Amino acid sequence: MAETEGTMQEKIDRSAVDNDASAVALMEERERAELERTWASPKGFFGWFTNTNHKDIAMRYIVTAFVFFLLAGIEAVLMRIQLARPENRFLGPDLYNQIFTMHGTTMMFLFAVPMMEGIGLYLVPLMIGTRNVAFPRMNAFGYYVYLIGGLLIYTAFLLNVGPDAGWFSYVPLSGPAYSPGKRVDIWGQMITFTEIAALVGAVEIITTVFKQRVPGMSLNRIPLFVWAQVVTAFMVIFAMPSVMLASQMLPADRLINTHFFNPAEGGDALLYQHLFWFFGHPEVYIIFIPALGFVSSIIVTFARRQIFGYTALVLSLIATGFIGFGLWVHHMFATPLPQLGQSFFTGASMMIAIPSGVQIFCWIATLWGGKLSLKTPLLFVLGFVAVFVLGGLTGVMVASVPLDLQVHDTYFVVAHLHYVLIGGAVFPLFGAFYYWFPKWTGRLLSERAGRWNFWLLFIGFNLTFFPMHQLGLKGMTRRIYTYLPETGWGNLNLAASIGAAIIGVSVIIFLINVAWARRRGLVAGDNPWRADTLEWGTASPPPSYNFADPPIVAGRYALWTMTAETPVLKGLSTKRREVLVTRVMDAEPDHLYELPGPSIWPFLLALATGETFIVGIFTPWGFPIGAVLSLLALFGWFWSKPKSEGGTAADSRQEQSLLSLGEAQGLPLKKGA
Amino acid sequence: MSSSMSSNMGSRPTLNVAHLPSHGFDTRAPIWWGNLLLLMIETTMFGILVATYFYLSQNFNLWPPPRSEYPVGYNTNPMLLIPTINLVLLILSCAPMYWVDRSARRARKRATQTGLLICLVLGLASIVLRWFEFPAMRFKWYENAYGSSVWFLLGMHYLHLLTLTAEVVFLTIWVFFRPFDEKHRVDITVLAVYWYWVAAIWIPLYAILFFGPRII
Amino acid sequence: MSMRGKRLAYRLTTQACLLLMSVLLTGCAGAQSVLDPAGPQADRISKIWWLFFYVSAAVLLLVIIFMLLAVHRGRVREKGAGDVPEVDEKRGSAPDANLERRMTNTVTGATIITVIILLVLTIASFSIGRSLSSSMSEKDAVTIEVTGQQWWWQVRYMDANPGNIFYTANEIHVPVGQPVTLKLNSTDVIHSFWVPNLVGKKDLVPGHDATIWFEADRPGLFRGQCAEYCGLQHAHMAFWVVAETPEKYQAWVAQQRQSAQEPSTDAERRGQQVFLSAPCIMCHTIQGTPAGATIGPNLTHVASRITLAAGTLPNTRGHLSGWVVDPQAIKPGNRMPPNSLNPDDLQALLDYLQSLK
Repeated sequence: MAETEGTMQEKIDRSAVDNDASAVALMEERERAELERTWASPKGFFGWFTNTNHKDIAMRYIVTAFVFFLLAGIEAVLMRIQLARPENRFLGPDLYNQIFTMHGTTMMFLFAVPMMEGIGLYLVPLMIGTRNVAFPRMNAFGYYVYLIGGLLIYTAFLLNVGPDAGWFSYVPLSGPAYSPGKRVDIWGQMITFTEIAALVGAVEIITTVFKQRVPGMSLNRIPLFVWAQVVTAFMVIFAMPSVMLASQMLPADRLINTHFFNPAEGGDALLYQHLFWFFGHPEVYIIFIPALGFVSSIIVTFARRQIFGYTALVLSLIATGFIGFGLWVHHMFATPLPQLGQSFFTGASMMIAIPSGVQIFCWIATLWGGKLSLKTPLLFVLGFVAVFVLGGLTGVMVASVPLDLQVHDTYFVVAHLHYVLIGGAVFPLFGAFYYWFPKWTGRLLSERAGRWNFWLLFIGFNLTFFPMHQLGLKGMTRRIYTYLPETGWGNLNLAASIGAAIIGVSVIIFLINVAWARRRGLVAGDNPWRADTLEWGTASPPPSYNFADPPIVAGRYALWTMTAETPVLKGLSTKRREVLVTRVMDAEPDHLYELPGPSIWPFLLALATGETFIVGIFTPWGFPIGAVLSLLALFGWFWSKPKSEGGTAADSRQEQSLLSLGEAQGLPLKKGA
Repeated sequence: MSSSMSSNMGSRPTLNVAHLPSHGFDTRAPIWWGNLLLLMIETTMFGILVATYFYLSQNFNLWPPPRSEYPVGYNTNPMLLIPTINLVLLILSCAPMYWVDRSARRARKRATQTGLLICLVLGLASIVLRWFEFPAMRFKWYENAYGSSVWFLLGMHYLHLLTLTAEVVFLTIWVFFRPFDEKHRVDITVLAVYWYWVAAIWIPLYAILFFGPRII
Repeated sequence: MSMRGKRLAYRLTTQACLLLMSVLLTGCAGAQSVLDPAGPQADRISKIWWLFFYVSAAVLLLVIIFMLLAVHRGRVREKGAGDVPEVDEKRGSAPDANLERRMTNTVTGATIITVIILLVLTIASFSIGRSLSSSMSEKDAVTIEVTGQQWWWQVRYMDANPGNIFYTANEIHVPVGQPVTLKLNSTDVIHSFWVPNLVGKKDLVPGHDATIWFEADRPGLFRGQCAEYCGLQHAHMAFWVVAETPEKYQAWVAQQRQSAQEPSTDAERRGQQVFLSAPCIMCHTIQGTPAGATIGPNLTHVASRITLAAGTLPNTRGHLSGWVVDPQAIKPGNRMPPNSLNPDDLQALLDYLQSLK
């Protein structure tokens, strides 16, 4: 580390510049105006389809994913109405099956993963002090593909061809013999779309973090939020291919008579379960690890102290990422599998509790040593700890083969997974909304409404899901659209349904809070929480170019370690969308790289991809046609690369408008240079 | 737009990066990392497909299964001639690609153009040969799980051959008709990485598809 | 607040309290409960459940107590918070080295305890797991083949003598104190066999046969239900396990092995004719008659069963009549078509079916 500092210090011009203050201000103003022009997002209807600014794309992800969250929430409420009393006739079995499938599918694929990645795509470039993600057009492409997937499945649902084989679509139930029609095919292609989007987002995040960190942000100074996003992105890269293959093999079995899962021709129904859960279990961590990043950010800010055990927390994240791949069979303990294999997966499932435990302990220690300001974001984090620990403990229970054989596929598991996912992801997510809303919009959400939001969610959540533990032990199985009165499950189900209504009220309060705060919320300023990470070092909302002059990072807590002596980065072009590329380990400046600006090609390529898989459901011709269309779109895409032909170092230096301008006016901007 | 930092910016030291070059090769280039990550995704896919292949083989007494329909036969091992020619071709094609790679780094336009043309021809040849590898498996995808899994494996690699060749076409057009700029020289070296990967991953896949049945 | 308002508030409060009580106190006993074991398998699992439960409750309580203490501590110190907190990197050392050391020790200790707890739980889980599967012995055991179908259970009692094999549906009779071996398979989609009071679940995967065993300690009726989502009527795919004394069990077996009772009254005879001439015969078997189809449950001794339609309806004349006439209203999507019979035929058919003890 010391060596790194040394090499960089040499290049830093430390001579204090005392020149005419007003001239400098004028220069700055011009510089900013030029940056604004260079980075401006295209306006208007057509502009929407060409935008490549990471903040705009990320906000689309966040808003779209939240809409899907609301839809899936409505589906949950419908299910709770149906189950509130025995033999209810509110929903028939067909509709109920579609609704629970849509609820699970939406929450997992259309809400959780895109939401977490969306927040990452918004904040990661800001936190590491760069101006855009590494591949801005690919980023936009990812969003369109995701949107097409979401629209596809909801259009199908409204047309009564919504999937009805569960969010896992086990064969043979989802196979050609038992699910005729197009329902499952649409589900499969929607999975493909969202997985493409997730993979694209993962590549963006890793490359951006590896190559575009501001100088000084060596690996050991990366904020925990960014670490969490990187670990998640790697998990996406290794987990998603599995479900993409499953979601291609399943429609292939259905549409072109392959036999991957058909036992009559040597296929295997359990193969599908392996493929699905090899993705499905890491998926839980893909949803939950980014939330750990939110938690760390919020705790540091509101405990007003450095995080306790930074290294332990980073290692825990990485360990979770690895162990997360050794758990998938614990979803299959009840299948006819050899005993020996099961022991390994029990061991791994128990082991993953260790890094989670370490994280909880470190956070509590941070709070213990901190000076707390108990604002709404921290309240959600405290709720997260309580709820998530309970979910984690029931997770240890289902990791045990004998216990799992009893509680598997019962409401006990429904309770467990909601404690882990709502506790582990949605509570931190609401905390994150309260925490970063001022950065996104420039205004603070109401604290008072925030408290109502939190307490109603906390009470409603526990009232809904705690009784489900008991329901499971009393034998209530999952995915049943009704139950007989003599089972004695009625009261607990009624309690759960009342809880769901309370959760609904809580979410409505949040929506009102957002609508209100957009217009009337307190103006936030750059850094309302006096937080430490770089995103708070620029305006709220951030300008299109993020930072005029990103500060060099001198410590793990960028803004808390910044002094008047901390240098700022200069020399990026104001006329081109240029970013600084640094080295992977130590973030030493390496070269300047021009990013592409607005482009219609990502949208067209997304349309071509959409054509391929959607028309492919109805005729195999969808695929060759899609291939040709995609090829055309890709040619357009690459042909329209930003032209920096002959963009040698000498030329780029000449383009340093600020400097040349300054020199022309005789301003000694770079004394001694 | 005023941030607290910028108000006193004038008096703060600066780190000026204006003198830095506009491109870098290999691990220095973001696109190299992007490509590497995509290859990691694809390698994972192939890994899972190979696992699928072996998983399904457990359901068969004979792998590949004997034929029950015309032409009935017990030797259903895949045919070797064309696939082996294609394997050799793919491995050999790495040599001109390596030449392209080197030439692009040293900004030798003529050599890059020539090399790319050779690679283009080899890529197209490989695509044509691959077309005959599907029948070499002796089963169609709809006949049994063995057929499904080998067609899927071949097909996935085929898709890569197509994408790869499309990229070669694109870059060949570029180097002939557009400036031989640094950005596209970096792209060519990244293309070379992709090419090596497509060839390299085919070696174990070939061994598994064509010799796996002879061993297990 | 008005009198009425008060009374309403009072009523709501009492109701809420009652609801809460019922939530907390609903007993664990029941015919479909994990925590009311009636055999060695479920008993072992319930023991390990209580171990996990108490350990988890203690851990949860400790974590929440420490968190609340930390919050309290931090709130007290809040006033001392500066604008920019001190951090190691700026100072060159921790802001409060003593505190930091104490916290490091505590966190390390807590981690070690976590590891130990997990180790204990893992070992306990392994040993119980082994005892569940190892003691399976097919010798002297009653062997029953259970086949899951959308959406009912076919039950076949195996016997070395093929003539003694018999079928029933959605009801499994077992002798108390004797191990029962179940051979599980499915002919369509994946189902899962589960009787919480007796044994944990096992999936019925087409193409993968599975075997489990259990034993009932005491006589009783235990409800089981399909636990793997299997389509439209997954909710209505239940069955009953009847554990009875070996004598009663033997009597039941002897009776089930016989062919169907011959109709003894005119009405019953007419009912049999109705059965054989109506679509019933396309799907059902009644041993001793020409009806021999196996798409639906075997009806040879249908009147001896507790329930109809896979645990959905009590086996009474009224329910039977409703089921025969319009099964789609009761269990939408199931494979049995509605039957329009004239009232006399229907009554005769019911007479006949109810005579099939």
